[in-house]
Amino acid sequence: MTNRLRVAVLFGGRSVEHEISVISALQLMLAVDPAKFDLIPVYITPNGSWYIGAALLERSFYAKALENLAQLEEVTLLPKPGVGGLTRVGVGGLSSVIQVDLYLPAFHGQYGEDGCIQGLFEMAQVPYTGSDLPSSAITMNKYLCKMYLSAHGIPVLPASIVHRNEAQADITQVVSELLSQDKFKHFPLFIKPCNLGSSIGVSRVNDATELAAALAKVFRFDTQALIEPCVSKIMEINVSVRAQLGIESGIEASVVEIPVSESGTLSYEEKYLRDGGKKSGRSQGMASLTRVIDPADLDSELRSQVIELAKRSFSLLGCSGVARLDFIVDLATNKLYFNELNAFPGSCAFYLWARSKPRVLYTQLIEDMINAALGRFATNAALDRDIGLRALK
Amino acid sequence: MLTKLSTLIFVLGLLLFGYRRILSYLRYFQQEEYSNRRFIAWIREKWAFDRRGSAVVCTLGIIALVLPGEWYGLVFSTLAATALWCIAVVIEQDPRTSGKLKLNMTQRARKISLVAFILYALVAFVPLALSCGSCGGSQNGLAMTAFFALLLVQSPALFLIASNKLLWPVEKALQDSYYAEAQRIMRHANPFVIGITGSYGKTGAKAALGDLMTQCLAPTFWPRKGINTIMGITRAIRETLKPFHHFAVIEMGAYNIGSIKRLCDFTPPKAALVTSVGIMHLERFGTPENVYLAKSEIAQALPADGILVCNGDSPNARRMASEHRRAVTLLYGLDQSAGVLDCYASELAFDDEGTRFVIHWKGARYPGRTPLLGRPALSNALGAFTMVCALGADPAYAAACLANLQPVDNRLVLDRKPFVSFLRDAYNSNPTGFEAALDVLKTLSAKRRIVMTPGMIELGEQQYEQNRRLATLSAAVADLFIIVGNTNKDALLAGLTGASFPIEKIVLAEDREAAFAAITDRGAQGDLVLIENDLGDLHEGLVSF
Repeated sequence: MTNRLRVAVLFGGRSVEHEISVISALQLMLAVDPAKFDLIPVYITPNGSWYIGAALLERSFYAKALENLAQLEEVTLLPKPGVGGLTRVGVGGLSSVIQVDLYLPAFHGQYGEDGCIQGLFEMAQVPYTGSDLPSSAITMNKYLCKMYLSAHGIPVLPASIVHRNEAQADITQVVSELLSQDKFKHFPLFIKPCNLGSSIGVSRVNDATELAAALAKVFRFDTQALIEPCVSKIMEINVSVRAQLGIESGIEASVVEIPVSESGTLSYEEKYLRDGGKKSGRSQGMASLTRVIDPADLDSELRSQVIELAKRSFSLLGCSGVARLDFIVDLATNKLYFNELNAFPGSCAFYLWARSKPRVLYTQLIEDMINAALGRFATNAALDRDIGLRALK
Repeated sequence: MLTKLSTLIFVLGLLLFGYRRILSYLRYFQQEEYSNRRFIAWIREKWAFDRRGSAVVCTLGIIALVLPGEWYGLVFSTLAATALWCIAVVIEQDPRTSGKLKLNMTQRARKISLVAFILYALVAFVPLALSCGSCGGSQNGLAMTAFFALLLVQSPALFLIASNKLLWPVEKALQDSYYAEAQRIMRHANPFVIGITGSYGKTGAKAALGDLMTQCLAPTFWPRKGINTIMGITRAIRETLKPFHHFAVIEMGAYNIGSIKRLCDFTPPKAALVTSVGIMHLERFGTPENVYLAKSEIAQALPADGILVCNGDSPNARRMASEHRRAVTLLYGLDQSAGVLDCYASELAFDDEGTRFVIHWKGARYPGRTPLLGRPALSNALGAFTMVCALGADPAYAAACLANLQPVDNRLVLDRKPFVSFLRDAYNSNPTGFEAALDVLKTLSAKRRIVMTPGMIELGEQQYEQNRRLATLSAAVADLFIIVGNTNKDALLAGLTGASFPIEKIVLAEDREAAFAAITDRGAQGDLVLIENDLGDLHEGLVSF
């Protein structure tokens, strides 16, 4: 037990998906093999303070987390290479360092899944799981991600982006310009925040008034809105992809799933507040969703196409760790489109890997993710960053 | 020896009883904002004196007179102490965890309760020690002890008042330091301040305006909920005002003439929104004219180049706009019959999703929707819309943002349930709000419509008449009417029977719990219950000690 790797699991954070991150992290920490890893839960409050403590393993703690912070110890990660661990924040300032061997960010959304925390890890020169800074940043922004993949031949639905300041200045003009574009000639349209997940702020609109209201809704949470046409006869197909040490291509895909929505698009409530028919009423995150995993009657060519596109997209974006890629099939035209990539998917998509062949259980999935992160860290550490003084000499 | 033991046991019982009683009274004292004058008035109004503890000590005194002797004294004092313990711990609920508004053990509450308890303990120990020998000794001594204990069990409220008086210099110094700190923060952040006042609707308007300003213009600070006093605002500024806040929306409550002026001196407004000038809190001001004068202080505080936005549907708010014109003076409203409006809404339609409307502003129409229900909520939204447009927001964007407003807690919030649904309007009701709630109740789909209310308070001499009138109006909408408590029972009954509302469809409920029990008993699938007003602990029913 003494040689266990000390893994700090970071969750919560300054994101509207704060509580989803807490659910994902609690689920993940239960699955970690305690014989191999010594876990340090690190809770980041909605205002950005970092805390550690045993109470963080109890789900009940989070109902009144901000009132119970006295039970915890405040820490921080300094962006200084060589420190490595978490520095205690005491009344008199910074004090001793708690050793950490690897950081496992379990965030959803801004500041955690978009490259921000990854930037801090890079500055601190510490190993961490999941995608790195540029991959996280580009996959978090739905518009950039689509444009980038489209440029590499991955099929995506047409889209436009609206910035908050443009809408605030003249929403009538913005709406009129959007509706003058051929791709948005017909309602309904989908309006989404560019940099958020979990379906927060997503609307389906049927007229110009609703479009303006939907843009205003997005701009409560984000400074960029994505506008897409609505595929009327739609089937969604999701698949998880992971970067794995020791396999030839370095990338493998899980079985696919077809999520089932009551309203045509998955809402936040459907994703996280529905409990998959259980009576407990406690959300198990994305694992609670009603879905068909590895549907037997799915066309095998379509299935292969999804997996192939998913692996290519994952690779093009330079992702690491475990991601989930969502695709859309327009049933009217039988066309397949990449929709979005979740760099840290809800429930880590373990439910897909558990049904894959060979089966990968959640515990193994996390262990592989940690090993891949250590491998990447070793590779990066080998890079030469010191070429000596030349210009200043 | 037995005598001393008897005395000690009895004093311990009294101490425990006193500690819990101090906390029980403190809950109400806190709700009266530690105002000795209001707390005393409340005690007198509710006759909030001890009954249970007094019964115990009187019984002890009488029995001891009949059966003197040291052994009897020990037995009776032990019994009395146990009875006091039972009252404090078993019969009465802990005020920190019970009641609509629980006792919040803030630093001030801790200090007041601690000093009050020390005073109580000193008074309990010293005379009882002096009269040692009483409990088990002479009949006269025991009777004296019982009489003294009777005074003591009636006194926790007095000790709280004394403690408050004693601590006031310390509290004042602390408040002054907080006030100075808040002023420093205000000077550093230097936000553009918009003051809001009104007899009704100011909290809803503040939430709508703060939200709309943030959506349409720039980050805006506004103290949440109904915070509208200097100390409340001071605390909010210290805790949440940041340098990035370009605007601050400050609700200014009028408790007497001069209170808004003091708030304006603290946070000088450059713009003001006046939601209404009516008859709420009439008993504090004496006359409607005094209410007008108190509210007008906000308009007087505006600079000449300031912005004054008033609700044109309220005659006195309209009067304020004409008597205190500023560089930009605008009227908004829902009813054009009273005169010209700069901004108004038409084509209102209520449904489960909220309200659809068309806003008219500077000759253009802006159709939209909001999840808010009822004309007062829409009026607040319209006031907020007018203000943000006056400050330069794009009207079309502001109208779109109204779709994102969220109802303020318990102000006409629809809660659809599979069996019985609720329309909650459980916040400090007033005649306009009550009437609007009936309007919405009438519009929403339901098999049966139920009104549950204790009626309205703080309406001075008009309280009876206004409650009677609203009950009459309810009779045309409701299929069942539940009267909660006794505060306005007579007026509500008079209004209902006057409108020939069937007597068998009137339920008299002692308190809110009983009213909900009646809904459980008599509710049916598809019922929609309007919960109109929820009187606080201070006003609901009889206080039982």
